[in-house]
Amino acid sequence: MKAIVFENVTFRYNNLDEPTLHNINLSIEEGEKVLITGKSGSGKSTLAHCINGLIPFTYKGEIQGRLLVNGEEPKTRSLFAMGTQVGSILQDQDCQFVGLSAGEDVAFALENDCVPAEEMGPIVDHALSQVDMLEQKGQPPQNLSGGQKQKVAIAGILAMNVPILLFDEPLANLDPASGKKAMETMLDIHDRTGKTIVVIEHRIEDVLEHSFDRVIVIEEGRVAFDGSPDRLLAEDVLPRCGLRQPLYVEMLKLCGVEIKEEDRISVLENTIKFKDQVVSSYLADRFSGKRPDNKTILRLEGVCYRYYKDDPYTIKDVGFDVKQGEMLAIVGNNGAGKSTLLKAISGLVKYQKGSMYFEEVCIDKWTAKRRALAIGFVMQNPNHMITKNMIYDEVAFGLRNFGTAEEEVDWKVKEALKICGLYEYRNWPVSSLSYGQKKRVTIASILSMGPKVIILDEPTAGQDYTSYREFMTYLDEIKQTGVAIILITHDMHLALEYADSSVVLSGGRVIALDSIDRILADPLIISRANLKHTSIERMGRLYGVEDLSSFIAYFTRRITGGVL
Amino acid sequence: MSKSGSLYIERQSVFHRLDGSIKLLMLIAWTFFAFAFLDARVFLAMIALGLVLLRISKLPAKAVWPLLLFIFIFTLFNSAFLLLITPEFGSKLTGTYTRAVGIGFYAITYETIFYCITLSLKYISIMPITILFLFTTHPSNFASSLSRIGVPYRVAYSVSIALRYIPDVKAEVENIINAQEARGVAFKKGDAGIGTRLKNYATVMVPLLLSSFNRIEVVSNAMDLRGFGKNKKRTWYHRKKYTKLDISLAIVSFVVLALSIAIKVVVGAVYWYPF
Repeated sequence: MKAIVFENVTFRYNNLDEPTLHNINLSIEEGEKVLITGKSGSGKSTLAHCINGLIPFTYKGEIQGRLLVNGEEPKTRSLFAMGTQVGSILQDQDCQFVGLSAGEDVAFALENDCVPAEEMGPIVDHALSQVDMLEQKGQPPQNLSGGQKQKVAIAGILAMNVPILLFDEPLANLDPASGKKAMETMLDIHDRTGKTIVVIEHRIEDVLEHSFDRVIVIEEGRVAFDGSPDRLLAEDVLPRCGLRQPLYVEMLKLCGVEIKEEDRISVLENTIKFKDQVVSSYLADRFSGKRPDNKTILRLEGVCYRYYKDDPYTIKDVGFDVKQGEMLAIVGNNGAGKSTLLKAISGLVKYQKGSMYFEEVCIDKWTAKRRALAIGFVMQNPNHMITKNMIYDEVAFGLRNFGTAEEEVDWKVKEALKICGLYEYRNWPVSSLSYGQKKRVTIASILSMGPKVIILDEPTAGQDYTSYREFMTYLDEIKQTGVAIILITHDMHLALEYADSSVVLSGGRVIALDSIDRILADPLIISRANLKHTSIERMGRLYGVEDLSSFIAYFTRRITGGVL
Repeated sequence: MSKSGSLYIERQSVFHRLDGSIKLLMLIAWTFFAFAFLDARVFLAMIALGLVLLRISKLPAKAVWPLLLFIFIFTLFNSAFLLLITPEFGSKLTGTYTRAVGIGFYAITYETIFYCITLSLKYISIMPITILFLFTTHPSNFASSLSRIGVPYRVAYSVSIALRYIPDVKAEVENIINAQEARGVAFKKGDAGIGTRLKNYATVMVPLLLSSFNRIEVVSNAMDLRGFGKNKKRTWYHRKKYTKLDISLAIVSFVVLALSIAIKVVVGAVYWYPF
């Protein structure tokens, strides 16, 4: 039997004039592993809601055509009935986790099904042990990492024993290493139970490295591609739809390799036959990268911080320089101390040891407010920063707080809006903007205050490839004006493509301070910091390249179209 | 408050082993009993018994004191207020009039002062058992206890959800405040006057509300998708069968409850004034 069938399905939300999905035809076999991908706003989440029953029961709208989920038509059943067919894992692990402990959360669906308490225990234990979380059964969500919460969510779905598992952007809130583990858990479940797995995700490379059967690309509410990963990579579907191809595929194409479906390059090892072509292209055109030798603008020396006196230090002996007009990436996994370091630099927490110098002036005594004029800080979630209704007012907010004269405010705001490409929108309400645009508003609102250093926490999180690229282009422009930019991120691709140098944090300490290509060429650092290997590096190893770091650097610059 | 946002303190005691619903029942019976009287002797006895129970529960005094202190201060204010508004109320109850202090025809009587003391003792007498319920009931058992004594489970579960998301919202508030602070908004003493700072706290509300609405939508989807509200009843993972002790204490509570109602209806709460 087919697990999911869409026949000419068109769907329009009640509050919209135009349909979000147009004539969708799909069929997913039982036991298949399918990736559904597309840009933000392409309709892929709407598609997911059609499958799990939130459409039409929670999100009302007009649905045409025929839709069968495990042989049942959702609209003739109820949301609860669909819940016994499809288990959904939502993007936000915190909202998904409704129980007060891991065990309780797994039991949630069973409780709603009136399973007697004494029968629940063994089912919950079994489900938790399947995702290797039995030991954490009594832990409250506050003690669990994002990856662990997601595992609990998966266990919760396993306890329901549904035939179809639907993952809505499972990687969006996880760092790469935990994302990889989450994918492995998912596939392990698939191997053992043979359930149908549907993953909605735009981080294509991270999903495809786990051998999926099929990829469906949605563009503007229509199916733009439906076929095997090998065919997807051989054709030019992804770039055409504004989606990111796996790095190594992009690299092969740059070297002029003609990829065919039969080459089966969805498995990276199969690219060995293109070795000569790639290596010769690399050797013919060597890259020489060096750090710009500008003057130091911010310097940290031996900075230590801990929350309570008895605690171990969250960050210890952190020291590095930030140069004028450079983009520095601070990389590390969750719990490495990245956000604490960020708070210490912006003065939100007081470090107990060490010193910081801004343009060679010691700023240890500066308050957060005073530092704000020198060092701007842009948070991960723009919705946490925005408090005004109009874009202009939002960008002017910081300046006005410091009592700047209104004429000066005006030109500074306009200047910042121009750099961030938002000048035409200045009189628009913030709410009319997309997530990526809001993110740019928050940068403009910091930029207008004229800081010489801007710190960005996970700048590209939650953005698809197109807006990621656009956003980074604006950052590059800001950098050209002489402002130093610090990126705090766990996204290796981001660091690799844009950062001039990088600091690797692990367990609160700096374990490496170098250009990112050299860092990524060192397997020891990667494993110590629990970072994820990039596919360019894996290619370099596969081809036995000697100078791995220059190989990585070369192809990264080629891919971003940067100067060699 | 612990990291999880609840008041629960883990100890090995008989009260920790009792089912939450029994403790809630005891709390209700205890409260009704207190309201059946207006007699300082009864309240003193109840306070003594309550303190003994607290002792048995092995709760650390450090955790219990702030709450007791809070209630103490509350009753003080309450008494002062009563004395100001109804200075002669105690006399109405006793029929005697003993002037304590006053100017002209406005006078506070000794009867009223003693009445306020009695009332304060009444409130304080309810405290030990309330503390017992709050501190020895595991947050996971809160909702199930409520539903076990007859509160509809949808309402009861909201308690659980509140306990679940309080820490998350707290973290979010901190995050938002940090973001605003980094743009020169004053939140700390010394950065600006109290009026400005209060106004600044109000601006935090905008992003907080927006993100809370979003959270509510996603959480309720997550709950719907896993069948919350599917049936008229639901079971509870952490619920255990009643033990003999649970049942005997339940019987005692029911007897006390019936007795209190009988006293209140037949005799009424008689004000005891010894002087």
